[in-house]
Amino acid sequence: MKPRNAFLSLRGQAIYWCAAILLIFTAFPFFWMVSTSFKSLREIFVYPPYFLPKDFTLANFARLFEQTRFLIYFKNSMFVSTLTVVFTMAIATAGAYSLTRFRFYGREKIASLILFTYMFAPIMIIIPFYVLIKKIGIANTHLALIMAYTAFCLPFSLWLLRTFFQSIPLVLEEAALVDGATRFRAIIHVILPLALPGIIATAIFTFILAWNDYIFVRILITSDKLKTLSVGIADLYNATVIDWGMIMSGGMLITIPVLVFFIFIQRYLIAGWGTGAVKG
Amino acid sequence: MRVSHQNAGILLITPSVFLICALLVYPVLYGVWLSFFKKHSFFPEQKFVGLANYLYLLKDSEFWMSLWYGTFYSVSTIVLQIIIGVIAALILNEAFRGRNFVRGVVLFPYMIPTVVAIILWKWLLNNHFGLVNYLLLAAGIIEDPLSWMGKDHIMTSLVMISVWEFFPFVVLSVLARLQTIPLVLYEAAKVDGAGAWSRFIHVTLPQLRNVLFVVILLRSIWMFTKFDTVWLLTQGGGAEKYIRTLPVFAYMRTFTYYQAGLGSTLAVIMFGILIASTTVYFKMFRREENI
Repeated sequence: MKPRNAFLSLRGQAIYWCAAILLIFTAFPFFWMVSTSFKSLREIFVYPPYFLPKDFTLANFARLFEQTRFLIYFKNSMFVSTLTVVFTMAIATAGAYSLTRFRFYGREKIASLILFTYMFAPIMIIIPFYVLIKKIGIANTHLALIMAYTAFCLPFSLWLLRTFFQSIPLVLEEAALVDGATRFRAIIHVILPLALPGIIATAIFTFILAWNDYIFVRILITSDKLKTLSVGIADLYNATVIDWGMIMSGGMLITIPVLVFFIFIQRYLIAGWGTGAVKG
Repeated sequence: MRVSHQNAGILLITPSVFLICALLVYPVLYGVWLSFFKKHSFFPEQKFVGLANYLYLLKDSEFWMSLWYGTFYSVSTIVLQIIIGVIAALILNEAFRGRNFVRGVVLFPYMIPTVVAIILWKWLLNNHFGLVNYLLLAAGIIEDPLSWMGKDHIMTSLVMISVWEFFPFVVLSVLARLQTIPLVLYEAAKVDGAGAWSRFIHVTLPQLRNVLFVVILLRSIWMFTKFDTVWLLTQGGGAEKYIRTLPVFAYMRTFTYYQAGLGSTLAVIMFGILIASTTVYFKMFRREENI
C-alpha cells in the first residue's frame, strides 16, 4: 500500500493528527522519565518545569549506584530471568512439539488444560504457593522464584510454540524421515531452523514476564540481597524522602533491557503473533 | 503421525503437564482446602473451621466494598481499553509515513515493568511538581492543583494509568486481525455506496467479532485479578482504601494480617466469580467459529 498524497487530502491530515496524539499519549511519559533522570536536583523541582535538562548531569545515576544495591538487584534479575527462560523453553519446546506432532490419548484434554490455566492469576496462586514453599523450606531463595516463573510462563509458552510448530508443514519432516534421517536428525536439521524465530520470540516473552514481575518477588523473597529490580525500585519509592531523580534513573535502566528485546520481537508481534497467541 | 510414536509423544509432554499440575493446579486446589481452615500465614498451626471464613466474609462490609471497587475497576478499564485500543488499531492500520515507528512505540507501555509505569505516573501526577497539574493549571482548566493520589481522585488515576498500561494489548490483537480482512470486502461495500462509518459498522466490526470475543475474555480475567498496578499505586498515598480491590484485599488479609485461611477464601471466591462469569459470557456470545 502506497500512501496516497497524504498532505493534500483531509483524511490524510486527520490520520497524521490522530497518530501524533497516539504517539504523545504513549511516548511522552517515557520522554519525561528520561529527561528527569538527567536533571539536577534543583532543576527537577523548578517551576515552571523545563522539558529538557539545562545542565545535563549524571548525578542521579551516581547516587543510584552508590547509595542503593541497584547493581545487585540487576544481577539477581538477570540471573532469575535467564534461568527461567532456559527451563521454560526446554520444557515447553518439547511439549509443544509433542502436541503438534504426535497423536495420543488425552492430547486435546492437555491443550484445554493449558488454556484453562490462563485463568490462574498470580494473586490466586501466590497464597497457597507461599504456604507450600514455606513447608518445603525454600522460601527466600531464587529457586522458589524460578519455579514460580517457570510454572507461570509454561502455559502461554506452550500455546505460542504450538501455533509456531503448527505453521511448519509436516511434509518437510516426513520427507527427511523417508530420506532415512532419524527423527532426532529431522528435528535438528529441519524443524529447529524453521521454528527458531518462534522459539526466540517466545523466549523473549518469557524473559520479559520474569523480568517485570513484582508480586512473586515481593512475597517469596525477604532478604534485601536476593531482591530483584521491581521490588528494589518500588522500595526506593517507599523511602521517607523520595529522590525522584534517582528513581527515574533506576526506572530508565530497568526498562532498557526490555526495550532492546522488544525491538527484536516487534515484527513478530505485529505480523501475526497477535492472531496466534490470542486466537486460541 | 503414526500411532507407534504415541509413547515418545507422551514422554515429551510429561514435564509440561507435571509442572503445570504440581505448581499451578495443585496450589489452586490446596488454596480451596486452606479456605476451610483458620491458618496463620507464617506458623504451621491450622484449625478446621468449615465454612466460617466464607460466612465471615458475607457479613464483612470491607469485603463487599472491595468487590465493588474491583468490579468498577475492571469494567471501566476494560471498556476504555477496548474503545481506545480499537481506535488506535484502526489508525495504525492506515498507511502513513512513520507508521512502523508509531506501531512500535504504542506497544511500549504494555512491555515495561509495572513498577516503572507506576513511578512514572506518580511523578507526572505529583501534587506540587507534577507536569500534569502544571499543564492543567497553565491551560486554565483547573484553578488549584489536583491531589491525584488523594481519596477523591485516586480511582480516576488508577483507571487512567491502567488503561495506558494495558490498551496496547488490544491494539496488538486487533491490528493483527485488521491486516487479514480481505480488501475486496471494502471495495464491494464502496461499490454499494457505503460511507466510511457504514463500512466500519458493516464490514470491519463483524470481522473483529471473534478477536474481540477473546480479547475481552482475557482482559476481563486479567483486570479482575490485577494486583501489582493497584497495590503499587496505593503505596505511600494514604488513600489506599479507596482503591482496595479484591486482589489487594486478599493480599492484605494474608500478608498484613497473616490470615492465610481468609486470604485463600478470597482467592477461591475470585476464582468462583471468574468461572461463573466466563461461563455466562460463553453462553451469551460464543458462536461455533469463535475458538
